[in-house]
Amino acid sequence: MLLRRIYQFLIIYFLGIALLFLLKYSLGLSDYVVPSPGEIGRTAARYAGPYVLAVLNTLAVAVLGHLLSIGLATAVAILGRLTAWVGSFIRTASYNIQAYPIVAVAPIIFILLGDGLSSRLLIAAMICYFPLLLSFIGIFSEPVADIEHFYRATRRMTWRLEVKIRAFENLHKISTVVVGSATMAVVGTIVAEFIAATAGIGYSIRIALYQSDLAKILVALFLIGVGTSLYLVTLEGLGNALQKRLKSG
Amino acid sequence: MEARQLSFRYPNATGDLFSDLSFDLPGAGFHALFGPSGVGKTTLARMLTGEIRGFSGAISLNGRRRALYTYNLERLPGWSSVRRHIEETAPAATHARAEELLSEFGMASCVDARFSRLSMGQQNRANLVRYLLQEFDLLIMDESLANVDELTREKIILKIKALFPARCFLYISHNVAEVARFCDRILVLRGAAKSPQVIAVRGADLEPQGAAPPPERLERAMLEIVHAA
Repeated sequence: MLLRRIYQFLIIYFLGIALLFLLKYSLGLSDYVVPSPGEIGRTAARYAGPYVLAVLNTLAVAVLGHLLSIGLATAVAILGRLTAWVGSFIRTASYNIQAYPIVAVAPIIFILLGDGLSSRLLIAAMICYFPLLLSFIGIFSEPVADIEHFYRATRRMTWRLEVKIRAFENLHKISTVVVGSATMAVVGTIVAEFIAATAGIGYSIRIALYQSDLAKILVALFLIGVGTSLYLVTLEGLGNALQKRLKSG
Repeated sequence: MEARQLSFRYPNATGDLFSDLSFDLPGAGFHALFGPSGVGKTTLARMLTGEIRGFSGAISLNGRRRALYTYNLERLPGWSSVRRHIEETAPAATHARAEELLSEFGMASCVDARFSRLSMGQQNRANLVRYLLQEFDLLIMDESLANVDELTREKIILKIKALFPARCFLYISHNVAEVARFCDRILVLRGAAKSPQVIAVRGADLEPQGAAPPPERLERAMLEIVHAA
């Protein structure tokens, strides 16, 4: 699974690089606009160390934000399934709020919270929260009639049992949504860092942009891709292991 | 059990499913609800147990307060084995009976498996066992023995009759020979256009230790059921 993800990423990455070089050499662009392969190599050798640390910093915030969103989306979805009205209200509110581009909301967060960890965390959580919430509301609001009927008929149903049944029956869906939203958490963190933070790979990309140093940006993108692939593979592995453990017997 | 002038129509349906439907059932015993597909057997069963409301008319269970309805597509949760699930949901006093039922129903070899690993017939039997262990006065079994072979079905029905002589069962099945042989009263449900909508037929009501009913009695019951349907 890891190798497949890395392969896929490398194919896309090097296709992009090849396209850049095609443009560079066909249009005769200078090394200032698109750096030469040698320049990219030298930049990679020089900045790989600090950039790896920056990517790890970003990933740590993304993972934390992602966990925060999963917890919050689960709690709100459990509340949202109580009545059709509450569920419908939360769904509509979520659709409306997520319609705002995060770059439009981010400045407000930075003004209120500053450019530290809390802002990055909040933006990372926000960007993956709404897709998670909408999926979780769907999952927790949908009765699994063939299993729940017995507990309702014998008056044994509790809200915990209801949630447990619905979560168990939708483990694959939950796992897919969590893995899918992980990419968004990473993107959210990088966007937050790019806008105003003072740490992380997004901040490094912003500096590189100010220096018009495309080589640095390409190195950063490579490391972001590898880091994100590793995170996704870890999540997929955890999801598969959990499903296998719960369903085996 | 009495039902008087029941009328019911599903929202957005073009016509009534039931119109002035009335019937009586004697007390305890193994009875059947028979009729062609789509005639409303499941709906009537859910009305009897209170799962469907919003109908006109009256249903009286004459003191049978605990009415349960079970159907053949029900599933046990997948996170534990059949045995563990039954232990968790059955009252403690019935654990010995659980073992007896599981053994008699031919489930002894698969009780430690997860529900999803069982065949459809085994799944239906496991589901029926957990309902039989609950406290009930009336149990409606909607195709609860589907996908179970004929010999095992016979064994199960006779075991139920032997173990629960004071309880009332309403068995929904499409098998004419089976309901004619094992059931006391067979309520034959017909389309809303027919009047009366329910006809009660006497079955052979084979007892656990009883002799096989005379063939002519069985034949007559089957003919009456088919004719009424």
